[in-house]
Amino acid sequence: MTPLLEIKNLQVRFKIYEGELKVLNGVDMVIGEGEKVGLVGETGCGKTTTVKSVLRVLPTPPARISGGEILYRGKDILKMKPAQIRSLRKGEMSAIFQDPLAALNPVFTVGHQLYDVIKYSSASRGRKRLSKKEIRARSIAVLKETGMPDSERILSNYPIQLSGGMRQRVCISEALSASARLLMADEPTTNLDVTIQAQILRQLSELVAKKKSSILLISHSLGVVRNLTERVYIMYAGNMVEVARTKDLFADPLHPYTKALLKSVPKLTGEGISRGIRGRIPNYLNPPAGCRFHPRCDHMMPICEKERPAFFTGGDSDNHKVACFLCRR
Amino acid sequence: MKKELLVAALSRSRASFSKGWYKFSRNPLSVLGLIILFSVILTAIFAPYISPYPEHAGAFTNFRESGLPPSLTHFFGTDSVGRDIFSRVIFGYRFSLVLAVVVLSLAMPSGIILGLIAGYYRRRWIEIVIMRITDIFLAVPPLVLALAITVMLSPNLFNQMMAISLMWWPWYCRLVYSLTTSLRHEYFVREAELTGASKAHILLREILPNCVAPVLTKMTLDAGFVITVGASLSFIGLGVQPPRPGLGTMVADGAKRLPAEWWMAVFPALAIVIVILSFNLVGDGLRDMFAVEEV
Amino acid sequence: MAKYIISRLLQSLFVLFGLSLLIFFIARVMPGDPARVALGSLATHEQVQNFREEMHLDKPFPVQYYFWLRSLLRGDLGKSLYTRRPVTTDLKAYIPATLELILISFIMSLVIGQVTGVLAGYFRNSWFDGLSRLISYIGVATPAFAVAIFFLLFFTYTLNLAPAVGRLSLAAVPPPRITGFFILDSVIAGKFGTALEGLKHIFLPAASLAVANIAQEGRITRTSIAENLQKDYVIAHTVYGIPRWSILFKYLLRPSLIPTVSVMGLAFAYQLSNAFLVELVFMWPGFSRYAVTVMLNKDLNAIVAVVLVIGVAFFLVNVIVDIVVSFLDPRIRLQRTGG
Repeated sequence: MTPLLEIKNLQVRFKIYEGELKVLNGVDMVIGEGEKVGLVGETGCGKTTTVKSVLRVLPTPPARISGGEILYRGKDILKMKPAQIRSLRKGEMSAIFQDPLAALNPVFTVGHQLYDVIKYSSASRGRKRLSKKEIRARSIAVLKETGMPDSERILSNYPIQLSGGMRQRVCISEALSASARLLMADEPTTNLDVTIQAQILRQLSELVAKKKSSILLISHSLGVVRNLTERVYIMYAGNMVEVARTKDLFADPLHPYTKALLKSVPKLTGEGISRGIRGRIPNYLNPPAGCRFHPRCDHMMPICEKERPAFFTGGDSDNHKVACFLCRR
Repeated sequence: MKKELLVAALSRSRASFSKGWYKFSRNPLSVLGLIILFSVILTAIFAPYISPYPEHAGAFTNFRESGLPPSLTHFFGTDSVGRDIFSRVIFGYRFSLVLAVVVLSLAMPSGIILGLIAGYYRRRWIEIVIMRITDIFLAVPPLVLALAITVMLSPNLFNQMMAISLMWWPWYCRLVYSLTTSLRHEYFVREAELTGASKAHILLREILPNCVAPVLTKMTLDAGFVITVGASLSFIGLGVQPPRPGLGTMVADGAKRLPAEWWMAVFPALAIVIVILSFNLVGDGLRDMFAVEEV
Repeated sequence: MAKYIISRLLQSLFVLFGLSLLIFFIARVMPGDPARVALGSLATHEQVQNFREEMHLDKPFPVQYYFWLRSLLRGDLGKSLYTRRPVTTDLKAYIPATLELILISFIMSLVIGQVTGVLAGYFRNSWFDGLSRLISYIGVATPAFAVAIFFLLFFTYTLNLAPAVGRLSLAAVPPPRITGFFILDSVIAGKFGTALEGLKHIFLPAASLAVANIAQEGRITRTSIAENLQKDYVIAHTVYGIPRWSILFKYLLRPSLIPTVSVMGLAFAYQLSNAFLVELVFMWPGFSRYAVTVMLNKDLNAIVAVVLVIGVAFFLVNVIVDIVVSFLDPRIRLQRTGG
C-alpha cells in the first residue's frame, strides 16, 4: 500500500510562562491510501496537536514545530508555501473536530457556513463555479447523506438551535463536502450520547468507504476504534507506543500501557470495575526521561529511565511494533 | 460562558503570591506603572520636604516672578501670581490621592455589602429595592450627577468627595451582585448553608473572599477614574478652591493663558495624565495576574 | 422583541421617575433660597415672595413634586429660574449642537477604533499592535479637558490648522434652521462654504471627545479579535478552505463586534459627560455648556430637566445598542423571542 501521509519524528513544543512544554516527542505514523487508521490515547496525550500539525493550524506561537517531517504524497507539508497548503486543504485533507459547537461559528446560520465551505472548496480545482442554486442543492444533499432529518429547514438554523448530534452532522457535512482524500476525525463523537455515537460513526465510515478516502479516527475509546479501523496506533504522552493491525492489537497487546488501557475498559461479563492505570499523564514541562511511561509502569527496568525505547517488532506479525524494552530481543 | 470564565478567575484568585507577582511583572508596563504610582504617592506624602517652594502651595504671591517659563529654578515655570507650578503640582497630588482614597473607602464597602445582600437574597424584596436604586444612580453618567450634587451642596473639596462617593457605590454593588448571584449556587456555599453557618458568615467568609480579585482590579482602575472625575469637576470650578492647588483648577486657570504661557496648563494636565496612567497600568497588571492563562 | 422593549420602557420610566425624585430631594437639602439666587440680591422681598409662589417654592416637597410631575405630563418642564424662558425652549435651542458634536465624534471613534482594533488583534504582538496599545493607554488616561487643551495648543496655536472656538466664525451667517445641525443644514441650503466652515470648527472638539472612546473601543476589539482567532471555528473554516480575508472580515469580525457594540452605551455616556468639559474649552454653544451654566446657577427646573434629558438619551442609546447586539448575536435574539 502506498503511504498517503507519513509523519516522521514530529516534535512540537508549546511556550508558556513557566517554560516550554515538550508535547510531541518524536511522533511516527503512516496512513496508507484508502486505509482506516485508529489513534488511541488518554486526553492530553497529543492527539489533537498531531492533527493540527498536519493541517498546519497550530497557533504559532505559542506552539513551535521543533523537528521532524510530515510527508503528504512524499512532499513535506512543513516546508510548503501557504498557497500550497491552502490547496491541500481544499481537496486533499479535511478534519472533523471534537466539539461541534465550538467548531461552528455561533453567529452565522448553518446554511451560510455550509454555503461558503462548498463554494470555496469547489472553486479550487479549476472547475466552473457553482451557481447559488447548485450550492444550495449540494448543501441539502450533503446534510442528507449524513442522515440529517429535515435538512432543508436546518439550513436556516443557528448552531445553538440544534442538538449535539445534529451539530456533529453539520460538521461532518462541512468536512465531507470538500471530498477529501484524507479525513482526520478528532474524537468526533465524544460529546454525544452513546446511541447517537454509534449511529454517527456508522454513517461516517460508510461515507468514507463510498468515497474511498483514508480516515484517521482519533478516540480515547478503544471500543470505537475496534469496530471501524484496520490498524491502530496507541499514543502516550507525545509518543507512539504501539502500532498493530486492529485485531492483533486486541488479541495480543504488548505495551504495558496498551494492556492497562484494555484492562480498564469495563466488561459486560461482570468482573467489576477495573482499577484503571495508576498515576496520571506526565507534566510536559519536565517530562520523565527515557520512556515517558516509566513512572506509571509495573514492569519498570533501570534502562527505562535512561533511554527512550525505539520501535521493536513484536507479536506474530511484522506490522506489530512496540516501543518498549520488554520486547527487545 | 461568562460563568465559566468567572469560576476560573475565582480559582485563580487563590493562586500563590509569588506566582501572582511573576505574572504581574511579566508585563514591563505594569511594573513601570507601579514604580510611577509609588513615586507619586511618596511625593504626595512628603510634599512639604520635596517641593522646592512649599509656601507656594497656598495664598502666596510674588508678581515680580509671575509668568516665568520653565527653567532650572522653576521646572514647570510659574503661574500668573508668581507661584512655582512644580511645587503646586506636588501638593496637587495630595488632593487627588486623598480624593481617590476617600471616595473608594466610602463607596467600596457600602457597594460591596449591598451587592452581597442583593445577590444572596435573589428574588426577594430587598434585592428589588437595592437593585432598582442602583439602576437610578447608574442611569446617568457619574460626572453629571456628581456635578449636580456638588453644586447643590455648595462647591468645595469635601462636598465633591461626598458627591463622587454617592455616585460610585452602585458600580461596586452591581459588580458584587453579579458575582454573588453566580457564587451562591456553588458547593462551598451550599455546604456552609447546610452546616448551619450564619448568613453573615456565608456572605463575608465564603462569598466575599471570592470577589476579591475582580473588586481589587476594579478598584485600581477606578482610582484613576475617580481622579479624572475629580479633576474634571475642579476644572469646572467645583472642587479644590483657590488658593489651594487642585490639579484640575490649575489647568482651568492655565487654559485662560493659552497659548503664550502654555506651561501653566500643560504641566498640571500632564501630571494628571501620569497619575491616572499609572493606576491604569497597575490595574491592567492585576487583571493579568488574576486572569485565566490562555494556551 | 417588542415585549422586551416594552419591559425595558417600563423599567426606564421607573428609573427616570426615581431620578427626578432624587434630584428634587437633593435640591431640598441645598442651602440658600433658589428664588433669591435666581432674582439676585437687588430684588425686593415682595418680588421674591411672588416668584416663590409662581414656582410653587413655598409649598412642601411632595406638593412641589406633584406640580412638577403634572406639568411634565403636559410636556412642560417649567421655567428656567435663570434664563426665565421655558426650559423646553432652551433645550430645543441647545441640544442639536451637542448632538451634532457627539455624532461626529461617535463616527470618528467607531471608524478609527474598529480599524485599529481589528488590525492590532490580527497582527498581535507586532509593532503596530505595540504602538496602538501604547497610544490607547495614554488616550484612556487623559481626561477630556486635557485632550482638548493639548489639541488646541497643537492644532490651533502651533499648526494653525483649525479655529479655536465656536460652531462658525463670527462673520459667518448660520444656515437656516432645519435640523439644527449646522453642517447638514448648510448642505441642504446649498451653502457648501458654510458647511466646510462648520466642519473645520467641529473637527477639534469632536476629535477631543473621540480620543478616549477610540482607545477604549480599539482595545476591546483587539482583545476579542485575538480571542476569537483561537476559536475552533476559525481553525475549522481554515481547514475547510475558506479564504483568510473572508474569515477575518466576515466570520471573525461579526462575533468580535458584539463586545464592542455592547459597551457603546457606556461609551456614549462618557462622550456625553466629556462633552461638558470639551464644550467649555471650545466654547461650543451646546446642551452640555447650558447644563453646566444652569447647574452653576442652581437653576432647579433646568437642572432636573437636563439630568432627565441625559437619562432619556442614555436609555435610548442602550435600547439601540441592545437591538444591534441582538441582531449581531442570534443567541440573544433567540433567547428574547423565546425560540
